[in-house]
Amino acid sequence: MKLKLLLLALALLSVLAFAEVTISVVACSDNADSLKWLAEEFMKRNPDIKVEVTTLSWEVLYPRILADISAKSGAFDVFNWDVMTAGAVSQGCLDLFEFIKQNPDLVDPSYDMDDLLPLAKNLGIWDGKLVGFPYFNNTMLFYYRKDLFENPKYKEEFEKMFGRPLRVPTTWAEAVDVARYFTKSYNKNSPTQYGIALMFPTTHTMFYMYLIFFGPYRRSVEGLTRFGPVDLDYGDYFTADRKPAFASDLGLKAFEDMKALMPYSPDPLGSDYGETLEYFAKGIVAMVPQWTNPYLQFKSSPALQPAAEKIGIAPMPGRSVAGNWALGINKFISTEKQKAAFKFIQFATSKWADKEKLIRFAIAPVRKSTLEDAEAQNAIPWVKVLPSIYADETFRPRIPEEPRLEDISNINFAKILSGELPLTLDTLNKLANEWEKVLTK
Amino acid sequence: MTSTHKRTGFFMVLPAIVLFLVMTVYPFAYMIYNSFTNLDLSKSGTGQFVGLRNYTDIVRDQLALSSIEFTALMVLIAVPVEMILGLALSYLIRGLFAEKALRSLFLIPMMVPAAVGGFGWKMLFNFIFGPINYFLNLIGLQSIEWFGKINTARTAVMIVEIWQWTPFVFLILYAALQALPKDILDAGKVDGADGWRLFLHIELPLLRPILYVTLLLRIIDVLRTFDSVYMTTYGGPGSATSTWSFYAYKVTVSYGWNIGYGSALCVILVIVSGILINTLTRVLNIGRELGLSKE
Repeated sequence: MKLKLLLLALALLSVLAFAEVTISVVACSDNADSLKWLAEEFMKRNPDIKVEVTTLSWEVLYPRILADISAKSGAFDVFNWDVMTAGAVSQGCLDLFEFIKQNPDLVDPSYDMDDLLPLAKNLGIWDGKLVGFPYFNNTMLFYYRKDLFENPKYKEEFEKMFGRPLRVPTTWAEAVDVARYFTKSYNKNSPTQYGIALMFPTTHTMFYMYLIFFGPYRRSVEGLTRFGPVDLDYGDYFTADRKPAFASDLGLKAFEDMKALMPYSPDPLGSDYGETLEYFAKGIVAMVPQWTNPYLQFKSSPALQPAAEKIGIAPMPGRSVAGNWALGINKFISTEKQKAAFKFIQFATSKWADKEKLIRFAIAPVRKSTLEDAEAQNAIPWVKVLPSIYADETFRPRIPEEPRLEDISNINFAKILSGELPLTLDTLNKLANEWEKVLTK
Repeated sequence: MTSTHKRTGFFMVLPAIVLFLVMTVYPFAYMIYNSFTNLDLSKSGTGQFVGLRNYTDIVRDQLALSSIEFTALMVLIAVPVEMILGLALSYLIRGLFAEKALRSLFLIPMMVPAAVGGFGWKMLFNFIFGPINYFLNLIGLQSIEWFGKINTARTAVMIVEIWQWTPFVFLILYAALQALPKDILDAGKVDGADGWRLFLHIELPLLRPILYVTLLLRIIDVLRTFDSVYMTTYGGPGSATSTWSFYAYKVTVSYGWNIGYGSALCVILVIVSGILINTLTRVLNIGRELGLSKE
């Protein structure tokens, strides 16, 4: 009898052990906290599925995902990937359109695909396949010191100096005067040491920073007439016929705008994301172009208290740039795991999760319903400005060659900005030739 | 030795041999194989044999060539500075009151993980909050954009490298100085040599073999410089501080995922290192200096 009971217990235990499916999620550090929290919530509702989230830095994440896809090892079941790597990552991601067709029973009736913001959803589509649900609709914002811009003393001084009222710049040309005014070495009465914190290092940062300057030209009437509409796969760097658009007089103008602002920024070529964030958080600068998520850091910075009075948020003077993230499923894993992974990514991008991750972690929403939600708008001030930004933001190429193009460009852009290379059309044409070589390889 | 002993011996070293084959020989051979293919992780259907194309591409690759420039600068500037500083420290520390404490203190940079050291230096060099600029301001100098200008960025990377690896030179030379034959030193002293003259005419010549080996080890290591660049400048501004190893990493892992081309870069590094080491060994006659050969 005892033996029978023991065997029964063992059988039950083994059934329970095998019943639990474990899915492994690999995520970028920007999304990891929210994904870990969502995983906990998901497991409460789905005790038969265990979710483990592994955090990797931006630099390590792609090679890790690609190595996994290339080896078909299935080390990770869910990939949290930057949409600009869509072309490369798509080779190892499940087509969710097809998966939904084949597994209608797994689809949550309240998921509402039409509620997903069009660009956020489209950036997860590659070659007609939905290779990822949109997770983080990141975009660049223009943070400024609200208290300084509203101070009557500075308003009066600025008007005396420049003959126009002090206001949050709407173009980069306007930003130059404002940045100059708030730089101590040009205006000894400036309340801040520098006007603006710019990040032009030789890292991936440079590639998106250039777009916030080139974007206004590329998307202008002249730009659209000359280069054609922006292709969803090739992005704003390219013309409609897939030639480098920056190798033009408009591309040069973008560099001139960047150079014009550099004297009013602390070490622009040596500063990256972390440094510029600190410069604004510590009150060293009056303005900074930054992503959505640093808002929580600014909000808790002692130098920016009370936050509601000191932190202003506006659309980018030029154009913003998209920094979206998606959640995709590894196609080289078992069907059972794919189903569990689908349940999780569906949960993590649901209406409820979209609002919760915004309020708790400042993860920019991918759904219209969240943008329109009053609670969400009150919780994070930039929610109100997002619709206008999303309507015309620029984006980087999503083709598989993107990383190589990015590396060549980052180096050459830094050389142009440092004066090592002359700012001429010839320089840009040479870079365009390098791009062509990569694209035709 | 009996055949049983031989067999036992063989089985005892077998795990080490297998480990060496799996962890070193196989990856190395696979890297060489990859260097002749167009394997690119970002594209499906790659991995075909392309002959010497990756190698001929390197010759035309401006970024690869500029990486050679900075790597060569590191060898020509950082290594001699490390050697001189390491030698000076090992000489000057002897007989001091706090010799043991100083000896331990000097070794700390070498024991700090490269990533931690690099991050620490990044903070020290910060334009606004960095203590280095703070002290420069105190003595009336302007703040320096350490990572924003070519020359200062190169200097910064070299400072990190020198800080981290001078202790290695110090450690070897300090140990070598302790081990010098006492009778020769005593004979020198009897002949009237002391202090600087004793060092220059007796100790330094005796140290020569160790100096050469240390120099060789440092050159090999500097050729592989990666961490200090990765943690501070990321090769910038432009490609000013990109070393060969760092460029290979970017091509293979960080930006390119171009395993074929990256493997070719790594193979070239191995070949260049091999040639350099061989040439130096011959020129400096290291084998004879160490008493390993009669040439």
